[in-house]
Amino acid sequence: MRNRNKRVQLGMAAFMTMTVAFLMMPVATPVYAEGSPGLPAPTSDVESSFPAQKHFSPYAGRNFPTQAFWGDTHLHTGMSMDAGAFGARLKPEDAHRFARGEELTSSTGLRVKLSRPLDFLVVADHSDNMGFFPRLYEGDPKMLADPTGKRWYDMVQTGGQKGVEAAIEIIVAFSQGKFPEALASLPGSQAYRSAWEETIRAAEKYNEPGRYTAFIGYEWTSNTGGNNLHRVLVYRDGGEKASVTEPYTTLKPLGSDNPRDLWKWMNRYEDKTGGQVLAIAHNGNLSNGIMFPILDTFTGKSFDRAYAETRAKWEPLYEATQIKGDGEAHPFLSPNDEFADYETWDKANLDFSVPKKNDMLQYEYARTALQTGLQLQRELGVNPYKFGMIGSTDSHTGLATAEEENFFGKHSGVEPSPERYKHPMAQTPNGRLESYDMVSSGLAAVWARENTREAIFDAMMRKETYATTGPRMLVRFFGGWDFTAADVKGRLPAYAGYSKGVPMGSDLSPAPKGKSAPTFLVAALKDPLSGNLDRIQVIKGWLDEKGGRQEKVYDVVWGDAGKRKPGKDGKLPPVGNTVDVKEATWTNTIGDPELITVWRDPDFDPKQPAVYYARVIEIPTPRWTAYEAKRFGVTLPKEVPMTTQERAYTSPIWYTP
Amino acid sequence: MEQFLKKLIHEPLVQFLAIGAALFLLSGRFGGSSVPQSGQAGRQSVRIVVTPGQVQHLTAQFTRTWQRPPTETEVKGLIDEYVLDEVSYREAMAIGLDRDDPTIRRRLRLKLETLNEDIAAALPPTDRELQAFLERHPDSFRREPEVALRQVYLNPDRRGGKTDAGARNLLARLRAAGPDADLAGLGDPLLMLPNDVPLSTGSEIGRLFGEEFGRSVLALAPGRWEGPFRSGYGLHLVLVTERKPGRLPQLSEVRTEVEREWLFARKKEVQEAVHKKLLERYTVVVERSPVPGEKGSAVAATLPATKAR
Repeated sequence: MRNRNKRVQLGMAAFMTMTVAFLMMPVATPVYAEGSPGLPAPTSDVESSFPAQKHFSPYAGRNFPTQAFWGDTHLHTGMSMDAGAFGARLKPEDAHRFARGEELTSSTGLRVKLSRPLDFLVVADHSDNMGFFPRLYEGDPKMLADPTGKRWYDMVQTGGQKGVEAAIEIIVAFSQGKFPEALASLPGSQAYRSAWEETIRAAEKYNEPGRYTAFIGYEWTSNTGGNNLHRVLVYRDGGEKASVTEPYTTLKPLGSDNPRDLWKWMNRYEDKTGGQVLAIAHNGNLSNGIMFPILDTFTGKSFDRAYAETRAKWEPLYEATQIKGDGEAHPFLSPNDEFADYETWDKANLDFSVPKKNDMLQYEYARTALQTGLQLQRELGVNPYKFGMIGSTDSHTGLATAEEENFFGKHSGVEPSPERYKHPMAQTPNGRLESYDMVSSGLAAVWARENTREAIFDAMMRKETYATTGPRMLVRFFGGWDFTAADVKGRLPAYAGYSKGVPMGSDLSPAPKGKSAPTFLVAALKDPLSGNLDRIQVIKGWLDEKGGRQEKVYDVVWGDAGKRKPGKDGKLPPVGNTVDVKEATWTNTIGDPELITVWRDPDFDPKQPAVYYARVIEIPTPRWTAYEAKRFGVTLPKEVPMTTQERAYTSPIWYTP
Repeated sequence: MEQFLKKLIHEPLVQFLAIGAALFLLSGRFGGSSVPQSGQAGRQSVRIVVTPGQVQHLTAQFTRTWQRPPTETEVKGLIDEYVLDEVSYREAMAIGLDRDDPTIRRRLRLKLETLNEDIAAALPPTDRELQAFLERHPDSFRREPEVALRQVYLNPDRRGGKTDAGARNLLARLRAAGPDADLAGLGDPLLMLPNDVPLSTGSEIGRLFGEEFGRSVLALAPGRWEGPFRSGYGLHLVLVTERKPGRLPQLSEVRTEVEREWLFARKKEVQEAVHKKLLERYTVVVERSPVPGEKGSAVAATLPATKAR
């Protein structure tokens, strides 16, 4: 508890300032909690924007999220059949220990540690073939009568090393068929426990409110015809509720490959247990046009309102970036966006059985899906694709590594080695995925008030999240009708943001009289370990008069602004490049550590529905392949990209006429 | 009597033995003669009996998934699927499809290891053992020292060659103004980071400012402006306002944590010991074709029982 409070304070302090603290008050005022940093008393304009806050203490009545928590919502361990087949031997327990910052040995025998711990983790093993493990159940006192039992008893009583020896003796006796007959006649009905129980057990053991959140979860892996419709399920609840049900699978008769059935299952779970679950779809880029369709893939007909409502209800987030490709935008769909072709995987569907065609792309990428959502909302009255953004790894190694200089790959067959670049990440009769095409991405950032299952889950439900391709830049994005340049001069971007607008993941309030266009307050602070920031962009999607999808990318604030101006074509020149590929280094001599601005939509038409999100782009830094080449002294093929511009995608803010 | 039994059940040894017995039972039920051995044609039994217990199990699983019992049609579907599973299983085993399959081999190893770990974890540690563990691994449980600080940021990118002079000047001003210095307008803007950081550990500060910065400020004595210190953003002048030393907590404060770590260590220890013990029962011979250009073909024996030739 103590810890939790402190973290909250530290995070809160991160977005407030104390510049006026000393003008306003004596240091040790009794209304302040012990150890509080001494925040300024609310100024009159802040006070009026927090009508509930009539206290002297700025903490009281304050209820907005103050800290970005970092996590991976999509990690597989050796419990996943495919991960195990590739050689992953780490289990959920190891995965949590690693995420909490511990150094451990990977399945291929390499020592590995994160640069910084994660705040939360969802171990999401595939529900199909989760399988069963022998159940070791409660005992029967009769066993004590046996002489061998008596000897083991003595060993156990001695404790310490003797206890270990006893354990070994039992295992060996068993495996040699020398287990005492007398001890072997035990009643017991259920001889197995599921991998699901194992997953739950690990999460329960490592979940530590205030310090580390171990979510219970699994992946529902609908993959009919090789088309990726996967969803990760995340529980708000602990083991007590989660263990009441079995995870939903895709194989009939118990399961189904249709997301509608998954949502029914989710509904059933909540009804029965009073718990809460959400689902996160991923890799639309490998769905061959069925992740964000305009017609129901399973029936070929138009969607109904119930579909839209159900999908929007259960799927508040989309995993927009991960190892198997970045899913924000595609160059074919966004030809004017010079950053759209980022770690694009567009050769085929997941198993390479059907090659990609251009007309599939519009139903696969997040940016276009947000616009399709606006179209469906017009048709159905509800927007089924009203999702926020997160990134995650989908790593199958038990290791949540998303950093370029510490990338342990998609699965244990492609953990770091001098030979890694030669091995395919996957190979089917129809094609081959090179290991150097793997993307060292991504992470989920969640704005929440404290690091608990409940607080982070609730933030996911309200979509106050953003995706990054690995770095931990802090990003704020607020929409409202009267942000002004003054809001970025004070040290209170979050105060101004919450008091005058809505955060990422929300709907803009209706336009007040006299306001002709929405304004956005956007701010980003670089990851202290990663590159400076090149620019922040606001990406707008909207429907034109004919109901057609439209999009535009605006550069709203950028680094080195003193010497960098947009050209005649309106394009901002590139930030430059300091990467020394051979040495795998770069310098933060270009770009800025922090960018902040207020932007007003210059092309706003109040009759047109619109969706806005921010994209933050870093300066070029070495891609994981550059570190690989440098550390192992190998030369990678010419076509392998060696630099990257990492980025963040915020959840959108929607405008509905 | 009931009390006595209850107590006994909680005896670690009883649990321990129960596990062994359970294993034995399992081997009888699932590893025994009912499953045809691979390679043996496996035609001795063409009878598949679906017992009431199995139907119950299928029904229970459905009920746990859907939170309602299956209909009669659904039960039939479940049974049909189960029978097909069983047929496929027997046939596949009979023609040896289980062999040389890395997925199956690794899955079985995972299951065996899970089993070993469970046995290892079945013995709850005593307080004495936990206390000893805490004393042996103090660094795993030590409460980190904490500091509260104020900081002013300088952007070297913006200031260029004048950064050092600027930092010296500013430091002198801050020292003159003392711990309560008004920071408004001082230094360069970095709006998303706090000027005042409440009591926090080095790692918490490190997460906001970078690890090196966290270490630097932790070493400062309170009360005096110091610096500049480098962070992931640039340079900072820092005043530590409060310092709370680290300490080793009592077992009672961290019992859950110590027990978790103890169990993890115990599982590893047993796992390794079991591997070793099992290896002792085998003679391992590694045969490798000679590498051209190299004299001899000896291979280092990495396992105790491994012989190279």
